Amino acid sequence: MTNYFYVSPEQLIKDRAEFAQKGIARGRSIVAAIYDKGVVLVAENPSASLNKISEVYDRIAFAGVGKYNEFDRLREAGIRWADSTGFTYSREDVDARALANYYAQHLGDMFTEGQKPLEVEILVAQLGSSLRPTKLYRVAYEGTISDEPRFAVLGGDAETIRDRFALSEAELEPLATTLKNAAAALAGPDRVLPAEDLEVGVLEDRGTRRTFQRLSDDQVKELLG
Amino acid sequence: MGLPLFSAHGDPGPSFWHFAQSVGLSTSSGEHRADSSHATTVIAVRYQIGVVMVADRQATGNYIASRDVRKIEPADRCTALAISGSAARGLELLKIAQLSFEHYEKMTDSELSLEGKANYLSPIVQRNNLTSPLVVLPLLAGWDDSRQQGRIFEYDGAGGCYERLDFATIGSGSPFAEGTLRLGFRDDLDREAALELGALALYEAGDNDPATGGPDFVRNIFPMMVSIDADGFQELPASDVGERFAQINERRTQSRGLAGGSLR
Repeated sequence: MTNYFYVSPEQLIKDRAEFAQKGIARGRSIVAAIYDKGVVLVAENPSASLNKISEVYDRIAFAGVGKYNEFDRLREAGIRWADSTGFTYSREDVDARALANYYAQHLGDMFTEGQKPLEVEILVAQLGSSLRPTKLYRVAYEGTISDEPRFAVLGGDAETIRDRFALSEAELEPLATTLKNAAAALAGPDRVLPAEDLEVGVLEDRGTRRTFQRLSDDQVKELLG
Repeated sequence: MGLPLFSAHGDPGPSFWHFAQSVGLSTSSGEHRADSSHATTVIAVRYQIGVVMVADRQATGNYIASRDVRKIEPADRCTALAISGSAARGLELLKIAQLSFEHYEKMTDSELSLEGKANYLSPIVQRNNLTSPLVVLPLLAGWDDSRQQGRIFEYDGAGGCYERLDFATIGSGSPFAEGTLRLGFRDDLDREAALELGALALYEAGDNDPATGGPDFVRNIFPMMVSIDADGFQELPASDVGERFAQINERRTQSRGLAGGSLR
Protein backbone atom coordinates (compact mmCIF):
# COMPACT_ATOMS: atom_id res chain seq x y z
CA MET A 1 0.00 0.00 0.00
CA THR A 2 1.22 3.47 -0.87
CA ASN A 3 1.25 6.24 1.68
CA TYR A 4 0.23 9.71 0.52
CA PHE A 5 1.50 12.69 2.46
CA TYR A 6 -0.35 15.95 2.47
CA VAL A 7 1.56 18.84 0.91
CA SER A 8 -0.08 22.26 1.05
CA PRO A 9 -0.50 24.08 -2.27
CA GLU A 10 1.66 26.93 -0.96
CA GLN A 11 4.49 24.53 -0.19
CA LEU A 12 4.11 22.78 -3.57
CA ILE A 13 4.30 26.03 -5.51
CA LYS A 14 7.25 27.21 -3.44
CA ASP A 15 9.14 23.97 -4.01
CA ARG A 16 8.47 24.04 -7.73
CA ALA A 17 9.46 27.69 -8.02
CA GLU A 18 12.69 27.04 -6.15
CA PHE A 19 13.44 24.08 -8.39
CA ALA A 20 12.91 26.12 -11.56
CA GLN A 21 14.85 29.12 -10.28
CA LYS A 22 17.81 26.93 -9.38
CA GLY A 23 17.86 25.41 -12.83
CA ILE A 24 17.67 28.81 -14.53
CA ALA A 25 20.35 30.30 -12.27
CA ARG A 26 22.83 27.67 -13.48
CA GLY A 27 22.82 29.10 -17.01
CA ARG A 28 24.06 32.44 -18.25
CA SER A 29 21.92 35.49 -18.86
CA ILE A 30 20.53 37.42 -21.81
CA VAL A 31 19.90 41.13 -22.30
CA ALA A 32 17.40 42.26 -24.93
CA ALA A 33 17.11 45.98 -25.58
CA ILE A 34 15.45 48.37 -27.97
CA TYR A 35 17.92 50.69 -29.70
CA ASP A 36 17.26 53.64 -31.99
CA LYS A 37 16.67 51.50 -35.10
CA GLY A 38 15.59 48.11 -33.81
CA VAL A 39 15.99 45.44 -31.19
CA VAL A 40 19.23 43.78 -30.11
CA LEU A 41 19.44 40.48 -28.24
CA VAL A 42 22.72 39.75 -26.46
CA ALA A 43 23.47 36.42 -24.80
CA GLU A 44 26.52 35.29 -22.94
CA ASN A 45 27.15 32.03 -24.79
CA PRO A 46 30.59 30.49 -25.29
CA SER A 47 29.14 27.89 -27.67
CA ALA A 48 29.10 28.92 -31.31
CA SER A 49 26.53 26.33 -32.36
CA LEU A 50 24.09 25.81 -29.48
CA ASN A 51 22.15 29.00 -29.94
CA LYS A 52 20.02 30.83 -27.41
CA ILE A 53 18.81 33.44 -29.87
CA SER A 54 16.86 32.65 -33.02
CA GLU A 55 14.80 34.07 -35.82
CA VAL A 56 11.12 33.17 -35.55
CA TYR A 57 9.46 35.24 -38.25
CA ASP A 58 9.92 38.31 -40.43
CA ARG A 59 9.87 40.70 -37.46
CA ILE A 60 9.99 38.33 -34.49
CA ALA A 61 12.96 36.90 -32.62
CA PHE A 62 13.27 34.41 -29.78
CA ALA A 63 15.67 34.14 -26.86
CA GLY A 64 15.75 31.52 -24.15
CA VAL A 65 17.76 30.85 -21.00
CA GLY A 66 17.92 27.81 -18.76
CA LYS A 67 17.91 24.21 -19.95
CA TYR A 68 18.87 24.09 -23.62
CA ASN A 69 16.69 21.13 -24.62
CA GLU A 70 13.65 22.70 -23.02
CA PHE A 71 13.86 26.17 -24.53
CA ASP A 72 14.99 24.83 -27.90
CA ARG A 73 11.80 22.80 -28.16
CA LEU A 74 9.83 25.95 -27.40
CA ARG A 75 11.85 27.81 -30.05
CA GLU A 76 10.95 25.15 -32.65
CA ALA A 77 7.30 25.26 -31.63
CA GLY A 78 7.37 29.04 -32.02
CA ILE A 79 8.77 28.86 -35.55
CA ARG A 80 6.18 26.23 -36.48
CA TRP A 81 3.40 28.27 -35.01
CA ALA A 82 4.52 31.42 -36.83
CA ASP A 83 5.05 29.73 -40.20
CA SER A 84 1.73 27.90 -40.09
CA THR A 85 -0.15 31.01 -38.95
CA GLY A 86 1.39 33.00 -41.81
CA PHE A 87 0.58 30.17 -44.22
CA THR A 88 -3.04 29.90 -43.09
CA TYR A 89 -3.78 33.63 -42.94
CA SER A 90 -1.22 36.20 -44.07
CA ARG A 91 2.32 37.11 -43.11
CA GLU A 92 1.12 40.30 -41.47
CA ASP A 93 -1.19 38.37 -39.14
CA VAL A 94 1.69 36.80 -37.25
CA ASP A 95 1.81 38.66 -33.94
CA ALA A 96 4.44 38.26 -31.22
CA ARG A 97 1.87 38.87 -28.51
CA ALA A 98 -0.11 35.79 -29.51
CA LEU A 99 3.06 33.70 -29.50
CA ALA A 100 4.14 35.05 -26.09
CA ASN A 101 0.68 34.15 -24.76
CA TYR A 102 1.00 30.57 -26.00
CA TYR A 103 4.39 30.30 -24.32
CA ALA A 104 2.92 31.71 -21.12
CA GLN A 105 0.06 29.21 -21.18
CA HIS A 106 2.37 26.30 -21.82
CA LEU A 107 4.88 27.29 -19.14
CA GLY A 108 2.01 27.90 -16.70
CA ASP A 109 0.53 24.49 -17.45
CA MET A 110 3.86 22.77 -17.04
CA PHE A 111 4.49 24.61 -13.79
CA THR A 112 1.28 23.41 -12.15
CA GLU A 113 0.52 20.16 -13.95
CA GLY A 114 3.79 18.90 -15.39
CA GLN A 115 6.02 16.26 -13.88
CA LYS A 116 8.40 19.11 -13.22
CA PRO A 117 8.30 22.78 -14.15
CA LEU A 118 10.34 23.85 -17.18
CA GLU A 119 13.62 25.44 -16.15
CA VAL A 120 13.50 28.20 -18.73
CA GLU A 121 12.72 31.84 -19.30
CA ILE A 122 11.67 33.03 -22.73
CA LEU A 123 11.79 36.33 -24.51
CA VAL A 124 9.77 37.14 -27.63
CA ALA A 125 10.89 40.33 -29.36
CA GLN A 126 8.97 42.10 -32.08
CA LEU A 127 10.24 44.84 -34.36
CA GLY A 128 7.57 47.47 -34.83
CA SER A 129 5.83 48.26 -38.12
CA SER A 130 2.92 50.38 -39.25
CA LEU A 131 0.69 47.63 -37.83
CA ARG A 132 2.31 46.86 -34.48
CA PRO A 133 4.66 48.48 -31.98
CA THR A 134 8.14 47.28 -31.07
CA LYS A 135 7.72 44.94 -28.11
CA LEU A 136 9.68 42.79 -25.70
CA TYR A 137 7.63 40.08 -24.02
CA ARG A 138 9.28 38.20 -21.21
CA VAL A 139 7.77 34.90 -20.10
CA ALA A 140 8.92 33.46 -16.77
CA TYR A 141 9.13 29.77 -15.82
CA GLU A 142 5.73 29.79 -14.10
CA GLY A 143 3.96 31.48 -17.01
CA THR A 144 4.05 35.09 -15.88
CA ILE A 145 4.15 37.27 -18.96
CA SER A 146 5.47 40.82 -18.80
CA ASP A 147 5.66 43.51 -21.44
CA GLU A 148 9.03 45.17 -20.88
CA PRO A 149 9.11 48.81 -21.97
CA ARG A 150 12.73 49.31 -23.11
CA PHE A 151 14.82 46.31 -22.21
CA ALA A 152 14.54 42.90 -20.57
CA VAL A 153 16.98 40.69 -18.73
CA LEU A 154 16.57 36.92 -18.49
CA GLY A 155 18.49 34.44 -16.40
CA GLY A 156 19.71 33.79 -12.90
CA ASP A 157 21.48 37.04 -12.24
CA ALA A 158 18.74 39.15 -13.81
CA GLU A 159 18.27 41.70 -11.01
CA THR A 160 21.91 42.75 -10.82
CA ILE A 161 22.31 42.86 -14.58
CA ARG A 162 19.09 44.85 -14.94
CA ASP A 163 20.34 47.49 -12.48
CA ARG A 164 23.70 47.74 -14.21
CA PHE A 165 22.12 48.10 -17.65
CA ALA A 166 19.49 50.60 -16.49
CA LEU A 167 22.22 52.81 -15.02
CA SER A 168 24.28 52.86 -18.18
CA GLU A 169 21.47 53.36 -20.69
CA ALA A 170 19.09 56.22 -20.02
CA GLU A 171 17.61 56.71 -23.49
CA LEU A 172 17.51 55.06 -26.91
CA GLU A 173 21.06 54.75 -28.22
CA PRO A 174 22.63 53.55 -31.47
CA LEU A 175 23.32 49.80 -31.81
CA ALA A 176 27.03 50.03 -30.91
CA THR A 177 26.33 51.84 -27.62
CA THR A 178 23.47 49.56 -26.63
CA LEU A 179 25.55 46.48 -27.43
CA LYS A 180 28.47 47.81 -25.38
CA ASN A 181 26.20 48.55 -22.44
CA ALA A 182 24.56 45.13 -22.67
CA ALA A 183 27.92 43.34 -22.83
CA ALA A 184 29.21 45.35 -19.88
CA ALA A 185 26.05 44.66 -17.87
CA LEU A 186 26.33 40.93 -18.58
CA ALA A 187 30.03 40.85 -17.69
CA GLY A 188 29.85 42.86 -14.45
CA PRO A 189 32.61 45.06 -13.07
CA ASP A 190 35.25 42.34 -12.76
CA ARG A 191 35.48 40.87 -16.23
CA VAL A 192 35.28 41.71 -19.90
CA LEU A 193 33.39 39.39 -22.25
CA PRO A 194 35.22 38.77 -25.54
CA ALA A 195 33.17 38.84 -28.75
CA GLU A 196 33.54 35.04 -29.07
CA ASP A 197 31.56 34.57 -25.84
CA LEU A 198 28.69 36.75 -27.01
CA GLU A 199 25.81 35.64 -29.18
CA VAL A 200 24.15 38.64 -30.77
CA GLY A 201 21.05 38.88 -32.93
CA VAL A 202 19.31 42.02 -34.15
CA LEU A 203 15.94 42.89 -35.64
CA GLU A 204 16.34 45.91 -37.90
CA ASP A 205 14.72 47.15 -41.11
CA ARG A 206 17.10 46.85 -44.05
CA GLY A 207 14.54 47.00 -46.81
CA THR A 208 14.06 43.23 -46.84
CA ARG A 209 11.13 41.17 -45.58
CA ARG A 210 13.19 39.28 -43.02
CA THR A 211 14.63 41.63 -40.43
CA PHE A 212 16.55 39.21 -38.21
CA GLN A 213 20.30 39.07 -38.51
CA ARG A 214 22.78 37.06 -36.51
CA LEU A 215 25.96 39.09 -36.01
CA SER A 216 29.31 37.35 -36.59
CA ASP A 217 32.15 37.59 -34.09
CA ASP A 218 33.87 40.08 -36.38
CA GLN A 219 30.81 42.29 -36.57
CA VAL A 220 30.42 42.18 -32.79
CA LYS A 221 34.11 43.02 -32.33
CA GLU A 222 33.79 45.98 -34.63
CA LEU A 223 30.71 47.29 -32.82
CA LEU A 224 32.32 46.85 -29.40
CA GLY A 225 35.26 48.85 -30.74
CA MET B 1 -3.72 26.75 -33.70
CA GLY B 2 -2.09 26.30 -30.32
CA LEU B 3 1.60 25.91 -29.68
CA PRO B 4 2.64 22.93 -31.84
CA LEU B 5 4.77 20.92 -29.41
CA PHE B 6 5.91 17.39 -30.22
CA SER B 7 7.57 14.65 -28.23
CA ALA B 8 11.00 13.59 -29.46
CA HIS B 9 9.74 10.45 -31.25
CA GLY B 10 6.79 12.14 -32.98
CA ASP B 11 8.64 15.28 -34.04
CA PRO B 12 8.33 16.06 -37.78
CA GLY B 13 11.76 17.77 -37.81
CA PRO B 14 12.62 20.84 -39.86
CA SER B 15 10.44 19.83 -42.84
CA PHE B 16 7.47 22.16 -43.05
CA TRP B 17 5.60 19.80 -45.35
CA HIS B 18 5.78 16.89 -42.89
CA PHE B 19 4.78 19.24 -40.11
CA ALA B 20 1.84 20.57 -42.14
CA GLN B 21 0.69 17.02 -42.84
CA SER B 22 0.96 15.97 -39.20
CA VAL B 23 -1.28 18.83 -38.08
CA GLY B 24 -3.66 18.64 -41.06
CA LEU B 25 -2.63 21.94 -42.64
CA SER B 26 -1.92 20.66 -46.14
CA THR B 27 -4.71 20.34 -48.64
CA SER B 28 -6.55 17.08 -49.13
CA SER B 29 -7.24 15.62 -52.52
CA GLY B 30 -10.84 14.87 -53.37
CA GLU B 31 -12.69 14.72 -56.65
CA HIS B 32 -11.74 17.46 -59.05
CA ARG B 33 -12.51 18.47 -62.57
CA ALA B 34 -9.65 17.46 -64.82
CA ASP B 35 -8.47 20.52 -66.70
CA SER B 36 -4.73 20.40 -66.47
CA SER B 37 -3.37 21.21 -69.84
CA HIS B 38 0.15 22.40 -69.24
CA ALA B 39 -0.49 25.58 -71.09
CA THR B 40 2.80 27.31 -70.52
CA THR B 41 6.36 27.59 -71.62
CA VAL B 42 9.15 27.93 -69.11
CA ILE B 43 12.78 27.63 -70.12
CA ALA B 44 15.91 27.25 -68.03
CA VAL B 45 19.36 27.51 -69.61
CA ARG B 46 22.64 26.95 -67.85
CA TYR B 47 25.53 29.24 -68.55
CA GLN B 48 29.10 29.41 -67.26
CA ILE B 49 28.36 30.89 -63.85
CA GLY B 50 24.62 30.56 -63.38
CA VAL B 51 21.22 29.82 -64.83
CA VAL B 52 18.83 31.90 -66.91
CA MET B 53 15.07 31.34 -66.89
CA VAL B 54 12.40 32.66 -69.23
CA ALA B 55 8.64 32.15 -68.91
CA ASP B 56 5.55 33.34 -70.73
CA ARG B 57 2.84 35.20 -68.80
CA GLN B 58 -0.38 33.66 -70.12
CA ALA B 59 -2.84 31.57 -68.12
CA THR B 60 -4.93 29.50 -70.49
CA GLY B 61 -8.03 27.42 -69.81
CA ASN B 62 -10.71 27.24 -72.48
CA TYR B 63 -9.90 30.88 -73.04
CA ILE B 64 -7.11 33.24 -71.96
CA ALA B 65 -7.73 33.70 -68.26
CA SER B 66 -4.89 36.06 -67.54
CA ARG B 67 -2.10 37.75 -69.48
CA ASP B 68 0.25 38.73 -66.68
CA VAL B 69 0.81 35.63 -64.57
CA ARG B 70 4.19 35.23 -62.89
CA LYS B 71 5.31 31.64 -63.43
CA ILE B 72 8.80 32.04 -61.97
CA GLU B 73 9.30 33.08 -58.38
CA PRO B 74 12.36 33.17 -56.13
CA ALA B 75 12.07 30.22 -53.74
CA ASP B 76 14.84 31.80 -51.71
CA ARG B 77 17.83 34.05 -52.38
CA CYS B 78 19.62 31.69 -54.80
CA THR B 79 16.84 29.40 -56.02
CA ALA B 80 14.11 29.98 -58.58
CA LEU B 81 11.04 27.84 -58.96
CA ALA B 82 8.82 27.80 -62.03
CA ILE B 83 5.46 26.05 -62.38
CA SER B 84 3.33 24.57 -65.12
CA GLY B 85 -0.01 22.81 -64.96
CA SER B 86 -2.79 23.64 -62.54
CA ALA B 87 -2.42 27.25 -61.43
CA ALA B 88 -3.95 26.63 -58.01
CA ARG B 89 -1.73 23.65 -57.28
CA GLY B 90 1.28 25.37 -58.77
CA LEU B 91 0.90 28.44 -56.60
CA GLU B 92 0.40 26.23 -53.57
CA LEU B 93 3.56 24.31 -54.41
CA LEU B 94 5.42 27.59 -54.76
CA LYS B 95 4.17 28.80 -51.40
CA ILE B 96 5.05 25.51 -49.71
CA ALA B 97 8.53 25.54 -51.24
CA GLN B 98 9.29 29.12 -50.25
CA LEU B 99 8.01 28.54 -46.75
CA SER B 100 9.77 25.18 -46.38
CA PHE B 101 13.21 26.42 -47.34
CA GLU B 102 12.93 29.34 -44.94
CA HIS B 103 11.42 27.10 -42.25
CA TYR B 104 14.32 24.69 -42.52
CA GLU B 105 16.80 27.54 -42.28
CA LYS B 106 15.18 28.95 -39.15
CA MET B 107 14.76 25.56 -37.47
CA THR B 108 18.32 24.36 -38.06
CA ASP B 109 20.23 27.62 -38.50
CA SER B 110 21.67 26.28 -41.76
CA GLU B 111 20.55 26.50 -45.37
CA LEU B 112 19.39 23.46 -47.34
CA SER B 113 21.68 22.43 -50.19
CA LEU B 114 20.33 22.98 -53.71
CA GLU B 115 20.07 19.22 -54.21
CA GLY B 116 18.24 18.99 -50.88
CA LYS B 117 15.72 21.54 -52.09
CA ALA B 118 15.24 19.69 -55.38
CA ASN B 119 14.72 16.33 -53.65
CA TYR B 120 12.37 17.88 -51.10
CA LEU B 121 9.88 18.73 -53.87
CA SER B 122 9.77 15.18 -55.29
CA PRO B 123 7.32 13.60 -52.84
CA ILE B 124 5.15 16.73 -52.88
CA VAL B 125 4.86 16.59 -56.68
CA GLN B 126 4.34 12.84 -56.53
CA ARG B 127 1.57 13.00 -53.98
CA ASN B 128 -0.20 15.79 -55.79
CA ASN B 129 -0.01 14.24 -59.23
CA LEU B 130 -0.86 10.68 -58.26
CA THR B 131 -3.88 11.63 -56.18
CA SER B 132 -5.32 14.52 -58.14
CA PRO B 133 -6.15 15.26 -61.77
CA LEU B 134 -4.81 18.78 -61.18
CA VAL B 135 -1.29 17.98 -62.25
CA VAL B 136 1.54 20.35 -61.52
CA LEU B 137 5.11 20.16 -62.80
CA PRO B 138 7.77 22.45 -61.38
CA LEU B 139 11.17 23.40 -62.68
CA LEU B 140 13.83 24.29 -60.15
CA ALA B 141 17.02 26.16 -60.92
CA GLY B 142 19.54 27.77 -58.68
CA TRP B 143 23.06 28.55 -57.72
CA ASP B 144 24.81 25.67 -55.93
CA ASP B 145 27.13 27.30 -53.46
CA SER B 146 29.09 24.15 -52.61
CA ARG B 147 29.74 23.30 -56.28
CA GLN B 148 30.01 26.91 -57.38
CA GLN B 149 27.79 26.44 -60.42
CA GLY B 150 24.25 26.91 -61.62
CA ARG B 151 22.10 23.76 -61.69
CA ILE B 152 18.72 22.82 -63.17
CA PHE B 153 16.31 20.13 -61.91
CA GLU B 154 13.21 19.01 -63.77
CA TYR B 155 10.44 16.64 -62.64
CA ASP B 156 8.22 14.07 -64.25
CA GLY B 157 4.55 13.52 -63.43
CA ALA B 158 5.32 10.91 -60.78
CA GLY B 159 7.67 13.21 -58.90
CA GLY B 160 10.92 11.91 -60.35
CA CYS B 161 13.61 14.57 -60.14
CA TYR B 162 16.26 14.80 -62.85
CA GLU B 163 19.19 17.12 -63.12
CA ARG B 164 19.72 18.68 -66.54
CA LEU B 165 23.21 19.76 -67.42
CA ASP B 166 22.29 21.92 -70.38
CA PHE B 167 18.74 23.26 -70.44
CA ALA B 168 15.20 22.25 -69.56
CA THR B 169 11.71 23.27 -70.62
CA ILE B 170 8.25 22.65 -69.19
CA GLY B 171 4.78 23.29 -70.56
CA SER B 172 2.93 22.83 -73.82
CA GLY B 173 5.34 25.06 -75.74
CA SER B 174 8.28 22.82 -74.86
CA PRO B 175 8.74 21.08 -78.25
CA PHE B 176 9.11 24.43 -80.03
CA ALA B 177 11.37 25.97 -77.40
CA GLU B 178 13.44 22.82 -77.23
CA GLY B 179 14.17 22.89 -80.95
CA THR B 180 15.71 26.33 -80.65
CA LEU B 181 17.61 25.43 -77.49
CA ARG B 182 19.06 22.29 -79.04
CA LEU B 183 20.46 24.23 -81.94
CA GLY B 184 21.66 27.19 -79.93
CA PHE B 185 23.05 25.70 -76.73
CA ARG B 186 26.80 25.67 -76.19
CA ASP B 187 28.90 24.85 -73.14
CA ASP B 188 30.50 28.24 -73.03
CA LEU B 189 27.43 30.50 -73.03
CA ASP B 190 27.78 33.64 -70.96
CA ARG B 191 24.82 35.33 -69.25
CA GLU B 192 24.04 37.61 -72.18
CA ALA B 193 24.13 34.77 -74.72
CA ALA B 194 21.99 32.55 -72.48
CA LEU B 195 19.40 35.32 -72.11
CA GLU B 196 19.35 35.81 -75.85
CA LEU B 197 18.91 32.09 -76.54
CA GLY B 198 16.19 31.79 -73.89
CA ALA B 199 14.28 34.75 -75.32
CA LEU B 200 14.48 33.33 -78.84
CA ALA B 201 13.28 29.91 -77.66
CA LEU B 202 10.33 31.49 -75.89
CA TYR B 203 9.52 33.55 -78.96
CA GLU B 204 9.35 30.34 -81.00
CA ALA B 205 7.08 28.70 -78.43
CA GLY B 206 4.81 31.74 -78.37
CA ASP B 207 4.73 31.70 -82.15
CA ASN B 208 3.71 28.04 -82.45
CA ASP B 209 1.89 27.06 -79.27
CA PRO B 210 -1.60 28.57 -78.89
CA ALA B 211 -1.41 28.29 -75.09
CA THR B 212 1.88 30.17 -74.76
CA GLY B 213 1.78 33.94 -74.71
CA GLY B 214 4.50 35.65 -76.69
CA PRO B 215 5.52 39.28 -76.23
CA ASP B 216 2.43 41.49 -76.10
CA PHE B 217 3.37 44.83 -77.67
CA VAL B 218 -0.20 46.08 -77.45
CA ARG B 219 -0.42 45.80 -73.65
CA ASN B 220 3.32 46.05 -73.05
CA ILE B 221 3.35 42.72 -71.25
CA PHE B 222 6.50 40.71 -71.83
CA PRO B 223 7.74 37.29 -70.76
CA MET B 224 9.59 37.03 -67.45
CA MET B 225 13.35 36.79 -67.66
CA VAL B 226 15.49 36.06 -64.63
CA SER B 227 19.04 35.03 -63.90
CA ILE B 228 20.40 33.27 -60.83
CA ASP B 229 24.08 33.32 -59.94
CA ALA B 230 26.26 33.68 -56.85
CA ASP B 231 24.72 37.10 -56.23
CA GLY B 232 21.24 35.62 -56.13
CA PHE B 233 17.96 35.84 -58.00
CA GLN B 234 17.67 38.77 -60.35
CA GLU B 235 14.69 39.66 -62.52
CA LEU B 236 15.26 41.70 -65.65
CA PRO B 237 13.21 44.91 -65.78
CA ALA B 238 10.26 44.86 -68.19
CA SER B 239 11.83 47.60 -70.34
CA ASP B 240 14.95 45.49 -70.89
CA VAL B 241 12.88 42.39 -71.73
CA GLY B 242 10.66 44.45 -74.03
CA GLU B 243 13.69 45.66 -75.96
CA ARG B 244 15.03 42.14 -76.43
CA PHE B 245 11.73 40.90 -77.81
CA ALA B 246 11.30 43.98 -79.96
CA GLN B 247 14.62 43.15 -81.63
CA ILE B 248 13.60 39.55 -82.32
CA ASN B 249 10.26 40.77 -83.60
CA GLU B 250 11.96 43.28 -85.87
CA ARG B 251 14.22 40.61 -87.36
CA ARG B 252 11.26 38.33 -87.94
CA THR B 253 9.27 41.09 -89.53
CA GLN B 254 12.09 41.71 -91.97
CA SER B 255 12.32 38.03 -92.89
CA ARG B 256 8.52 37.81 -93.10
CA GLY B 257 8.17 35.38 -90.20
CA LEU B 258 10.91 33.01 -91.22
CA ALA B 259 13.91 32.12 -89.11
CA GLY B 260 15.48 31.44 -92.46
CA GLY B 261 17.61 28.50 -91.47
CA SER B 262 19.38 30.32 -88.66
CA LEU B 263 18.83 31.32 -85.05
CA ARG B 264 17.35 34.68 -85.78
